[in-house]
Amino acid sequence: MIRKIILLLFFAYSLFAYDATVEIVKKLDTLPKIAVQDASDATEDIGLRKKFFKILVGDLRVSAHFRPLGDYLQSSYEGSISENFLNKKNVDLILRFRLKSQDNLLIANVKLINASSGEVKNETNYKMQNRRRFPFLAHRIIVGINDLIGAPSIKWMEQFVIFSKYTGKRTSQIVVSDYTLSFQKTIVKGGLNIFPKWADKLQDAFYYTSYNGYLPTLYKVDLNNGQRKKIISAKGMLVCSDVSEDGEKLLLTMAPNDQADIYLYDLRYKQLERITKYSGIDVNGNFVDNDKKVIFISDRLGYPNIFSKTFGSSGIEQMVYHGKNNNSVSALDNYIVYSSREKRSEFGGNVFNLYLISTKTDYIRQLTANGKNLYPRFAQDKDTILFIKHFKNQSSLGVIRLNANKSFLFPLKVGKIQSIDW
Amino acid sequence: MKRLVLASMSAAVLLFTGCSQKNPDVDMTKNQKMEKVNNTNANAGDTSGMNSNNMDSNSMNQNSMAQNDKNALKYLIANLESQLRPVNFDFDKYNIREDMKPVVANSATVLDGDKAQKFSVKLEGNCDEWGTDEYNYALGLKRAKSVKDALNAQGVGADRMMIVSYGESNPVCTDKTKACWAKNRRVEFKLLP
Repeated sequence: MIRKIILLLFFAYSLFAYDATVEIVKKLDTLPKIAVQDASDATEDIGLRKKFFKILVGDLRVSAHFRPLGDYLQSSYEGSISENFLNKKNVDLILRFRLKSQDNLLIANVKLINASSGEVKNETNYKMQNRRRFPFLAHRIIVGINDLIGAPSIKWMEQFVIFSKYTGKRTSQIVVSDYTLSFQKTIVKGGLNIFPKWADKLQDAFYYTSYNGYLPTLYKVDLNNGQRKKIISAKGMLVCSDVSEDGEKLLLTMAPNDQADIYLYDLRYKQLERITKYSGIDVNGNFVDNDKKVIFISDRLGYPNIFSKTFGSSGIEQMVYHGKNNNSVSALDNYIVYSSREKRSEFGGNVFNLYLISTKTDYIRQLTANGKNLYPRFAQDKDTILFIKHFKNQSSLGVIRLNANKSFLFPLKVGKIQSIDW
Repeated sequence: MKRLVLASMSAAVLLFTGCSQKNPDVDMTKNQKMEKVNNTNANAGDTSGMNSNNMDSNSMNQNSMAQNDKNALKYLIANLESQLRPVNFDFDKYNIREDMKPVVANSATVLDGDKAQKFSVKLEGNCDEWGTDEYNYALGLKRAKSVKDALNAQGVGADRMMIVSYGESNPVCTDKTKACWAKNRRVEFKLLP
């Protein structure tokens, strides 16, 4: 039975994974139905167990590879006949977890059970040194379960998100979190600290701009030892928009001559090269095409839109022919996701929506329908996009699963999200 | 200041999960406070050997006069800044509107006056809450640049002026109304000694 489900799942993905700009309107109803059972001892903190359960079920749902049962079920870890065969609930799989706390160590014993045969398909033990980071333990478990059924990787769930949030006038904080905001740790506070950007894929260091000195200054913070290093200062404004694949070059938006342009900064040689020379606004540079090219936002047509330029050449190419205010962009391989204002007025129901295009086809796919959807960022795979949503005074992190055509929101309780990276 | 980053180190271990720890705190508030403490200490060092009992009346008078000068300077800056109205902008625009040209002209007159000549001018560009913040920082900067160019054309020396953008981080009004957003789309003047 499980094999058939897996085969069908693969078949489903092979059908619609060719072009992410093509929207799936009918989903195959073949995803395995899965129940989550809490088999922790009664002495374990019930609050933690329920939060853990909630994150597991949420992750299963966001993966879009399972149909999770939302009921909070308890069981023994070994399992009785009634616990191993959930015939009444018509489920295919059971994910059973047992949490154990040992001082600050959190251990999770996890079983994946075939609910039709009662057979334990897999058993794995996980542990985490810091109990506060339990959301990452839950994400790791679901990434593992997902791998077991052979579905496309959802390893992005383990990526750290870094974001800046406004907490007051000229005041912001930089926070590291998981994608659901269940875990949050403030790492820079006091004054105006904005535009955090991971320094590399390992997420061991990040860049950010401090507005607390005489000039806006870009710093790099090493998370392993907490050391902060000044990279560059500039008059007017300074943003680290992107980091090259090898981590050696930065795309900066800065204005040493009062003019916001895209600059390439070589960290090895401390060399700054001006990439764009337009008298209006050029911002938000992104490396594309193996770092040979940059896409960026410019108002050179009289409104913000998306353009590209190959390093070393002078030609500028318009990338998007839709919308009259495309003010934020991110790219991965041949896909471009951007935020577009739907109306020229500042009023109106639909304000900023996200769109996805492929540089190889003419399709445009609308990804959101209401609110202000800004700052889209691809995950390390091109099936998942993180973005900021502001809707009715609520600021949220949004996640879009392109192949499944689903989006999820994770609201921030305090503050307004300024920018994100992951 | 540069070396005063307070960061608590953490071991990068998350065992089976493969996640690294991310614990350091870079607290700018603490840094600024420490800088102030250090300045105080430096002053204390300059007056080593002195205490309140052996300070003579001459040094007290000098301190008092310095304080009076500071207060006078502060008062003068506040007085001049009160004569400089913010320059407001249309939605998503950075050109100076017709109705704002007299505001800019008045600012040029104030800034070129005898009392203001000795000060540098910081032009702070700001935006409303709409749009992506990176674009807004650039838009705020262009607004400040427009005002700088207009002032320069009316005789205010470019070398006296510096521009900076605060994007949407520095609102003067937080209501969700058209009038409020219009107030936030502005360039403000700050005088620097």
